[in-house]
Amino acid sequence: MMSDAKPILQVRDLTVELRTAHAPRRVLDQVSLDVHANEVLGIIGESGSGKTVLSRALVNWVARPLEMTSGEILYRGEDLRKMPAQRMQSLRGRSIAYIGSDPTTALDPTLPIGHQIMEKLKSVEPGISNEAARKRVIHTLDAVRMPMAAKRFDDFPFQFSGGMMQRVMIVDALVTSPDLLVADNITQPLDVTVAAQILRLLKELQADYRTAILFVSSLLGMVHGIADNVLVLAGGKAVELQSVDGILTAPQHAYTRHLVREMPRIWEAAPEGRISAPAPQSDDREVILSVRDVSRVYATKDRSRLFGKQHVQAVRGVSFDVMKGDSLGIVGESGCGKSSLSRLLSRLEAPDTGEILFKGQNIATLKGRAMLKLRKGFQLLLQDPYNSIPSHMSIGRIIAEPLIIHGGLSKAEIRGKVAEVMSEVGLSSDLAGSLPVGLSAGQRQRVNIARAMVLEPELLILDETLSALDQVEQAKLLTLFERLQMRHGITYLYISHDLGMVRRVCNRVAVMYLGRIVELAGNETTFFDSGHPYTRALLSAVPAIEHRPYEASTYLLEGEPPNPINIPPGCSFRTRCPFAFDRCATVDPMLTARGKGDFAACHLAGGGMPASVAAAGTTFA
Amino acid sequence: MIFALDFFLRRMAQGLVIIVLVAMLIFTLLRVVPGDPVRTMLGPMASAEVAEQTAQKMGLRDPIPVQFAKYVGQVVTGDFGRSFVRSAQGASTGGSRGGATFDASNRAPVMGLILTAVPYSLLLAGLALGISLLISLPIGIAAGLKSGKWPDRLALYLSSIFVSLPNIWLALVLIFLVSVKGGLLPAIGYQNWTYAILPAFVLAIELSPVFIRSASVAVSSNMLEPYVAAGQIRGLSRARMILVHVLRNAMIPLLNVLGIQAIGLLLGSLFVIEYAFNYPGVGLLMINAVFQRDFPVIQAIAILACTLLVLVNILVDFAATNIDRRLQY
Ligand code: SF4
Repeated sequence: MMSDAKPILQVRDLTVELRTAHAPRRVLDQVSLDVHANEVLGIIGESGSGKTVLSRALVNWVARPLEMTSGEILYRGEDLRKMPAQRMQSLRGRSIAYIGSDPTTALDPTLPIGHQIMEKLKSVEPGISNEAARKRVIHTLDAVRMPMAAKRFDDFPFQFSGGMMQRVMIVDALVTSPDLLVADNITQPLDVTVAAQILRLLKELQADYRTAILFVSSLLGMVHGIADNVLVLAGGKAVELQSVDGILTAPQHAYTRHLVREMPRIWEAAPEGRISAPAPQSDDREVILSVRDVSRVYATKDRSRLFGKQHVQAVRGVSFDVMKGDSLGIVGESGCGKSSLSRLLSRLEAPDTGEILFKGQNIATLKGRAMLKLRKGFQLLLQDPYNSIPSHMSIGRIIAEPLIIHGGLSKAEIRGKVAEVMSEVGLSSDLAGSLPVGLSAGQRQRVNIARAMVLEPELLILDETLSALDQVEQAKLLTLFERLQMRHGITYLYISHDLGMVRRVCNRVAVMYLGRIVELAGNETTFFDSGHPYTRALLSAVPAIEHRPYEASTYLLEGEPPNPINIPPGCSFRTRCPFAFDRCATVDPMLTARGKGDFAACHLAGGGMPASVAAAGTTFA
Repeated sequence: MIFALDFFLRRMAQGLVIIVLVAMLIFTLLRVVPGDPVRTMLGPMASAEVAEQTAQKMGLRDPIPVQFAKYVGQVVTGDFGRSFVRSAQGASTGGSRGGATFDASNRAPVMGLILTAVPYSLLLAGLALGISLLISLPIGIAAGLKSGKWPDRLALYLSSIFVSLPNIWLALVLIFLVSVKGGLLPAIGYQNWTYAILPAFVLAIELSPVFIRSASVAVSSNMLEPYVAAGQIRGLSRARMILVHVLRNAMIPLLNVLGIQAIGLLLGSLFVIEYAFNYPGVGLLMINAVFQRDFPVIQAIAILACTLLVLVNILVDFAATNIDRRLQY
């Protein structure tokens, strides 16, 4: 079905085993695949499916305790496994390039990026002159739309953001015009709009350079955007190979069907996916948390002046109310100020101006006993379930700790409470006496939840709490949160970059950009009729297999947010806004109401942006 | 440029504070520990009355802060005072001559004493550093590259042996074997540069374990950095990754060790070793000054040693920020 020419890469029955003290375990089990010239083959699989091992095997990078035990990897008919090291070395870089998921550690941190790419170019193409090599690198930097390529040539890796660094790695890979590029999860650590930019870029470059790409990802939505054909990997086996559309419309293997069905949907109401019923709509609900015009500025060193200081405006005049029983999602990309806001809300830091009222009391000024009492009412859960749990205490003791600190309970009462909470969060009671070693990430997060829940909080702040967990575990915990909410009337504040999750569980959504809330609205409004171009841009960039109401061609952003040091007057989004007009440069739009309970900070919020494209409602499952 | 200026101004200011504190400490300690310098100056024959008179004349009975203020006033003009003990002719004068008065004008200026001794010490220290790097870099780098294999173990055994050799013992054994028995190298005193070889060797053996250890740790930890494996996948050879990238980056921790540990250790051992070899450097001057309660000499050497340490540290850190620009942030 592809060209009739011989494939450039043929993998035949490749088996990789993990050598352990016990029996060897197969990480890849007789995987075969073909890549033709100019083809983009997607490889999809969950974590642990062997996709990274496979992509590394293709550049002959399999190190102990992993070992290739059988099979062939033929590059234009020549077996990489039998190739002399010298030949492999020259093939790597020149003909087969590899880009990994962590661009920030791929280059020597102490040398300018341009020099390192040149170093590679010259070692792969020994004859090339310095002059020509430099020209070629800068030219390729231009091709990936690196702003000021010639200047950035001399910058060091740490001076680039993750997204820009991934562009640098793409340059490094493509500068030798290889005929095969292995892209191993390259968008994984990036923010959605940046990932979408990289994907679009890769697609364009693929057309220009006519490079075959092996695009490996765990997100079907991502592969969907670029690949011709998709290989589905499960438990080290290739279970299905089909065209992208085929996978979505007629998945053959049971695992693929499961994968397609479980793919989080944002716009199509998945049958059993939606968790949060819209919160009670009565107007007289109690305001549990009120954030009033809160700002936070950090001083950093200014390197252009002697002893100079710069002021990073992390949070700029944020105000919102959270009603009892609400689930508010705070979303935005890295650097938007959501983590700073989380630190303020959890009282790890005090705001420079403004106040944060929890049940009418200012949490910044309370001290001592009163603070301790109030503190019981709101609890923070962080992303990393590993560092926050002491490893030398029994699980029961860890959970009891907050009760002991707050005091006033007898031993028996504490024991009873701990047991109750443990069963509530789904930890079996015989775990109480054991140490936390050996707990899975999900169980650790449950311990954390239990530790917060013993205090019977009214507000839980979840700062990327579920980001480190896989899809299945995430879904289970979301169900748990929902149950806790129904039973105890807890209010949630989800701080997250995951729009899919927010769509599922939050009844209200606040979108942050450059330290401000640019839109604050109900779930439906946010996702179907948002009033701010940035919200639309985010939604246009989410990897999805659905028909979306916001086209990437209209909304997808270029570049990255400006740095929050010298924020120009006017609308802070105007440097990237596709709809910016004169007034945006001078008048800073305030958060204004556009409907009942919906606010947006844009001059066009009342109308003037293209209408959202109605969802066609195709379902694939 | 701005960075360099900012860096040096900042670090010099910090350094100055450290030096002043050290000076204060030494100054106070010297005056509170038992032992009256006037006794050593005038000898046991002088009457208590005369001793007291001399002490008062020299300001030794003023309150310590007053003495210190006077001293600082002198030092800023570059004058470290005159030795209590040594005469301008260079000979050390004991108290045995029994003179009734103490004449400050025929005592040697401290600065002059130090300046004559410094070149000898620099030669010795430089030679010691050179020899020790020559021994430890190849061993340390090999150990770092073959972490866990025989070069690593060899490095470990060798450093353990070096560490457990007391320097004074090693000095005596070497003097006996190489100089007295073998007649290969001169050992005591100084006539030409060959007299520095044996003491330098003893110092080098003492310095080497630190260098071997930090070189091997720096290299092996750099080898584990993701960019090394990634570089080979990008098409660069392993040899190139090691030569161009790993060794360069491993320099940073090495430089730090050089700046802090090595110079400190060197300064400490220099005193002992120079004494053992009767080598006419700053160390010998210091040891003798301590025995004789020669306050001005002790103070001056302590302050200058401290200044040297601070300066070396500043330079080393500056070099490190030039290898790894992230350190500038
Ligand atoms: S105010 Fe102007 S620049 Fe800002 S988001 Fe709206 S249209 Fe864009």
